[in-house]
Amino acid sequence: MEGIFAIWIRDMTRFFRDRARLIGSFSMPILFLLIFGGGMGGTMESLIGSSMPDAGEDFQYLQFVFPGIVSMTLLMTSIFSSLSIIEDKNFGYMKEILVSPISRVSIAVGKVLSASTIATFQGIMLFLLIPFLGINYSLTSLLLVIPFMFLLACALSSFGLLIASFLRSTQGFQLIVQILVMPMIFLSGALFPINNMPGWMDVVVKLNPVTYGVDVMKKIMIDVESLSPMIRDAMGLNLQLFGTTLTVAMEIAFIFTFTVILILFATLSFRRANA
Amino acid sequence: MNNIIEVRELNKTYKDKTAVDSIDFDVKEGEIFGFLGPNGAGKSTTINMICTMLAPTSGSITINGFDGNKDRRDVRKSIGIIFQENTLDEKLTAKENLMLHCRFYNVPRSKRKERIQEVLMIVDLVDEKENRVETFSGGMKRRLEIARGLLHYPKVLFLDEPTVGLDPQTRAHIWEYILRLKEKEGITMFLTTHYLDEAEISDRIAIMDHGKIIAMDSPENLKNTLGGDIIELSTQDNEKAMLEIQAKAPEAEVTSKEDIIYLKVASSDAFISEFIKNLEVPLTRLNIRKPTLNDVFLSFTGRNIASTEPDKQ
Repeated sequence: MEGIFAIWIRDMTRFFRDRARLIGSFSMPILFLLIFGGGMGGTMESLIGSSMPDAGEDFQYLQFVFPGIVSMTLLMTSIFSSLSIIEDKNFGYMKEILVSPISRVSIAVGKVLSASTIATFQGIMLFLLIPFLGINYSLTSLLLVIPFMFLLACALSSFGLLIASFLRSTQGFQLIVQILVMPMIFLSGALFPINNMPGWMDVVVKLNPVTYGVDVMKKIMIDVESLSPMIRDAMGLNLQLFGTTLTVAMEIAFIFTFTVILILFATLSFRRANA
Repeated sequence: MNNIIEVRELNKTYKDKTAVDSIDFDVKEGEIFGFLGPNGAGKSTTINMICTMLAPTSGSITINGFDGNKDRRDVRKSIGIIFQENTLDEKLTAKENLMLHCRFYNVPRSKRKERIQEVLMIVDLVDEKENRVETFSGGMKRRLEIARGLLHYPKVLFLDEPTVGLDPQTRAHIWEYILRLKEKEGITMFLTTHYLDEAEISDRIAIMDHGKIIAMDSPENLKNTLGGDIIELSTQDNEKAMLEIQAKAPEAEVTSKEDIIYLKVASSDAFISEFIKNLEVPLTRLNIRKPTLNDVFLSFTGRNIASTEPDKQ
């Protein structure tokens, strides 16, 4: 336990000490909020609104995209934070950790927890923008979504750690972002409703674990019950798998299982890479 | 004295080559054990195996009574390592680095502050403890690493090229600290260095070459095996001079390297006056000295260790 805590506290200290990283990490989500909220909002709303003459006015794109952008931040931060393990290897600190008596499992778990904490923290920081965006979510829903954000971040950090054990240099970073992270965001329903997609894309979306994370985030944050069924549909919130409409509970159970499996794989592959 | 490290028939082979070839040795409790050898001799591979960082192909390693293959965790608790390269977290302060180490090694919570103070005092860094490591000089970082290696009171401290890349003055300082440690704490030290003068502080030295230990003894005894004194000389015509020496003084062992001729004789005092009087080729340089570890190394390997580079990992 002490070992896990040591790995965690080190990453926390480093994170809060690195001002540039702290500021830099907000620029991306804010940029996305500006582009998608301000730039695309109008177009999306008129597009979707025009298809629903009765209820079109009620569709607020920003309200829809905000949880998606929080999820995107979680994904990016989780993966990048756990990739910092490669940096530790290159700068030698990993050796200090590896020759110490703490177990390989503790190292991996500590890394996953620190990356998840950082990611969740950044997600929460985005909440501070809510009043300025002219959208509103209830305080309860925001408080409820935080534990789920942490769970999702754990899954994504484990995924990052898994990738990291196959990478030797930080140069692989860019590649990972391009071939994995970006598609995972775009094909998750984070930024636009996943309706009427070509068949193959629909399969990819359903296979993408981020899809379910985003869906739960939206369902918790957006007051779904008060929305008319048409808007719910337009927002792509009636996610179906094998003909069944998924409930939040089912999705959380799925993500929880997925997290456990990923942590397991990540620790195993970390142990193999650092026997 | 008890053996704190016992290595038996240790082997490490990679696909195409043998890095460590069936070596055996013991390190006694409380001694400074020096490991010498040129680049690629297998020193680092051996150390990495002893430190549980690399699995041996075959053979056994026992440290502090623990099996290096089975009881890795206990072995890790028993050793402290100062790596060749810097392994500090430079974004953290000296104290934070030490505190993390306490956590990794499960130093009792109540003793952490006291121990940190204690090791910082040994390496004279008490005043720097709140500063970030990135502001430290090379020598200070090394000292902090030594301090960190001592925090959990290891039975054996491994020092892999502890002074590489430091200026001579700092090097001298680092050795002062290391010697102070040996005197005060009686800690066993296992060191590798390619600075031969530094290896002299060892109680015993093992010379490694091509994956094998080719000599192992105290520096004194190793030098005595060579016997006699060494005369280094340069002349206006070395080739001619060598022929002349071989003819006139058959008792001297003659070797040459670059533009220096080395003569090994039983006693330089008796030899030199007669020799200089008789040598026809004019001398340009003359130096008489006792054998050094470099001569030992040269005689065992046929190479000069000074011309070899430190191991890179």
